[in-house]
Amino acid sequence: MTEDGANTEDRLIDERLAALFATAQALPDEAFVGRVERAVLAEQRMAAVRKALWRRFGIEAAGSIAVAAAFVLLGRLGPFTLELGEGPFSPAVAAGLALVLWLAVEMRPVPRTGR
Amino acid sequence: MDQDSELARRAAAGDAAAFTALVRAHEGAVRRFLSRLTRGDGADDLAQETFLKAWRMAGTWRGEGSYRGWLMRIAWTQFLGAHRARGRSDARDQAVYESDTPARHDAEGAIDLDRALADLDERERAAALLCFGEGCSHSEAAEIMGVPLGTLKSIVARARTALAARLEVVR
Repeated sequence: MTEDGANTEDRLIDERLAALFATAQALPDEAFVGRVERAVLAEQRMAAVRKALWRRFGIEAAGSIAVAAAFVLLGRLGPFTLELGEGPFSPAVAAGLALVLWLAVEMRPVPRTGR
Repeated sequence: MDQDSELARRAAAGDAAAFTALVRAHEGAVRRFLSRLTRGDGADDLAQETFLKAWRMAGTWRGEGSYRGWLMRIAWTQFLGAHRARGRSDARDQAVYESDTPARHDAEGAIDLDRALADLDERERAAALLCFGEGCSHSEAAEIMGVPLGTLKSIVARARTALAARLEVVR
């Protein structure tokens, strides 16, 4: 049999097989579409939460690094005496107060969102 | 730009409604492909995973080839991953069907394609489903299955011979 003959025969078989495989066009399965839609929306929400968490983590990491760097720099300044008698607005007291406030804000109870 | 490309572009920008329209347009083909590939076992879960992966990878679609072809490629990859994870083998497929080898004709003359497909290995089954069932060209099917064109043609030839014999399509 020539190659063309074999190709024609294959084509005929392909057509018959395609006819056997043919299925009637069905309407979209809305239950399945809804399932995927809900999963996609859940993914979208998760992605938003993840993004917010990473942003918060970035900000807090930067803040922590800044505080740590401040302590390192203060440590390099050498020994110094804390004059508590200078009054409540000395730089050391103000720095301590800022640290306490920062900790208080960080450790505040998170309000419930109801979700 | 065709409708799928426009919807895919919007989906890549995070438009879930556009993606839902794509799901509505292509779920039939993807589920039919996976259902026959897996013979119904977990096909809908795989189809859902396929669409979720398509959503996550929406930004990577370059508009080369059809969107359906791109989805089919993801579906095929998902199927292979699930199949390998479960550690299934062709031997088991054979065992399930070995007592029922002749292709069955029902009262209306419809041929039991699924039983004939079960005799093929997974690559032959996928190639047959894509080329005969979904009307893909050989190059499209090769792209979907991630094999060279020559290899795909060999796979299709084997599938054709086996199906023609099993389904009594006379040469």
